[in-house]
Amino acid sequence: MIQTIKDVFRYWDLLWNLVARDLKTRYRGSILGFLWTILTPLFMAIIYIGFLRLLAGGRGFGIQYEDIIIGVFAWQFTVQCVNAGLNCVTGNSSLVKKVFFPRIILPLSVSVTGLVNFLLTLVVQWVLVAILLYNMKSTFLEVTTLWVPLMSLYHLLFNFSLVLLVAAANVYFRDTQHIVNLLMSAWFFMSPVMYPLSLVEGVARSHPWVAQVYLLNPMTVIITGYRAMQLPGVSFPWTATSVVGLLIPLVIMGAAYVVFQRSQRYFSDML
Amino acid sequence: MIAIEAKGLGKWYRKQDIGTPTLLGALPRWLSGAKADGFWALRDINFKIHQGQTVGVIGPNGSGKSSLLGLIAQTMVPTEGTVRTTGRISALLELGAGFHPDLSGRENIYLNAAILGIAREDIRRRFDHIVDFAELHGFIDMPVKHYSSGMYVRLAFSVAVEMNPDILLIDEVLAVGDISFQTKCLDRIRLFQKKGKTILFVSHALETVEEFCSDVLLIHEGRFIMQGKPADVIFSYLKSYMVKLGLFSVEEHGTREVEMRSIRLLDATGAETSTFYTGGAMTVEIGYHAHRRIATPVFGFSIKTGNGFYVFGSNTQIAKVPIAAIEGDGRVRLRIEPLALKQGRFFLSLAVHSWDHKIQYHRQEDLHPFLIKDVSDDKGVFQLNCVWEHQPKP
Repeated sequence: MIQTIKDVFRYWDLLWNLVARDLKTRYRGSILGFLWTILTPLFMAIIYIGFLRLLAGGRGFGIQYEDIIIGVFAWQFTVQCVNAGLNCVTGNSSLVKKVFFPRIILPLSVSVTGLVNFLLTLVVQWVLVAILLYNMKSTFLEVTTLWVPLMSLYHLLFNFSLVLLVAAANVYFRDTQHIVNLLMSAWFFMSPVMYPLSLVEGVARSHPWVAQVYLLNPMTVIITGYRAMQLPGVSFPWTATSVVGLLIPLVIMGAAYVVFQRSQRYFSDML
Repeated sequence: MIAIEAKGLGKWYRKQDIGTPTLLGALPRWLSGAKADGFWALRDINFKIHQGQTVGVIGPNGSGKSSLLGLIAQTMVPTEGTVRTTGRISALLELGAGFHPDLSGRENIYLNAAILGIAREDIRRRFDHIVDFAELHGFIDMPVKHYSSGMYVRLAFSVAVEMNPDILLIDEVLAVGDISFQTKCLDRIRLFQKKGKTILFVSHALETVEEFCSDVLLIHEGRFIMQGKPADVIFSYLKSYMVKLGLFSVEEHGTREVEMRSIRLLDATGAETSTFYTGGAMTVEIGYHAHRRIATPVFGFSIKTGNGFYVFGSNTQIAKVPIAAIEGDGRVRLRIEPLALKQGRFFLSLAVHSWDHKIQYHRQEDLHPFLIKDVSDDKGVFQLNCVWEHQPKP
């Protein structure tokens, strides 16, 4: 592990060059260019809001716009990382086969690229949420909003572990990308992306175990964490299970690291 | 000091199905617990390469040369055995791997340098030099997807030679670019040699291997065959492998009433060799054994180029050197001087047949390869004796 960290520092240049390459080339040739980084989650948020209004009429389910915006932006961070992660090794097969460098640089670079994009969207997110809060409730963003960048580092760690897993798996089985796409859509509905945690708490009144299991989902605690930091009136449910939920990414990270380092030895044979 | 040492090195590959691996494809194998079908791309490879040596690796396609480089470069993991290297390794493999088509030449220089492990500072300092070397003035800010293949390769090579490794691995990359760029590349290789770098050189360009390498490794079907002086190894490579693979219409036939048992190619000093020089001498010595008395046999030879062009042929009958009769052991010498052939690889065929050509006693078709080196600047296939005259006023 320490050796890997040393390796990454030795190849720092490469990491930043790959991040710069991804950032520069992602929207090259498109007219709106970098704006797409912001427009994509924005439009998705608008679609979900429209959909929910249509479904429930008016402000059904007590779902707030700012909940959706924060949820969707955070969810997009994970989705972008996972999507880029699927191909980060297979898409660079000529490099992997021909040049020696720590393979972990590839998943790391797509995760860092995701983080940079997310941090850029955060600015837009704050503006939007601040306007919504002020107009609708005459309230402001919480001071703890300043903790959000720190939270996003934790979020990055979780995304990175997912990227490690899907990147390695996709080298061995190209089914991975299809399976992952399915799992991601299921996971989307199982996480409080377009609804707040309080909605599930309602269900949990009759089935208490649901809430417990629900909090084990790292995306639940991450998104709820973001909301609790920024929105007045939303608090993080500090329970034993939510703490476990917060710790799960660390466990996944460890496992993903072992899986990736073991399988990377044979990448050039499989590509 | 030893730069690269392989001990019992082996690489096993699973036989891959067509297309990319899928879960469904692997499921039956898991369920049945059957061991995957595979093959050894390399096995039992042992060799040592000393620091500062330039070593060529030759062998037919699919003999495991690239796998060997992959193992040395650590992009692959050996299935068995070890390969130990001393110092920093860089590989000049497949130029342009890692270029991004949408990035400009400038951006790709930095990206490629990072991939090859060259410090950003070094590149910034040498940037103009790199662009000079690549001959890409005015195109450096254009996306490389609009480059011609020549420009692409020149750019890649120019970055790659900025590396400062202790061991340089070169995989068949010098066969690109036009003549002037190739010359520049070879000059760079010489510079690496002068700096005392260890170079491992995989190539099918046997002339280049012979020119640059102090030592050559021959591998065939994943096995280590021999290591030695370039001329010897190349000679035995051409003789045993290209011949067996049927790349040339090599054959031996005849009634064998007379057998050509030992064939030696000798230079002017009488030493056996496979390399000759334009304008020099070449002696072919045929040791024969006639199982019975043969009257008026005819010994003949012909020379073809590597691509089968028939250059010259003659025999003792045409040359009016009749041999009355032979029996038992004897020797026939053919001396060619001056050798008018120019640069290239040639194949010698030998035959002994009856006076009326009806009986072939023994015929060896294209069995004896040799190399001609040309030190002059004249161009062409043959060295013609030319005398120029100039008369200002006729």
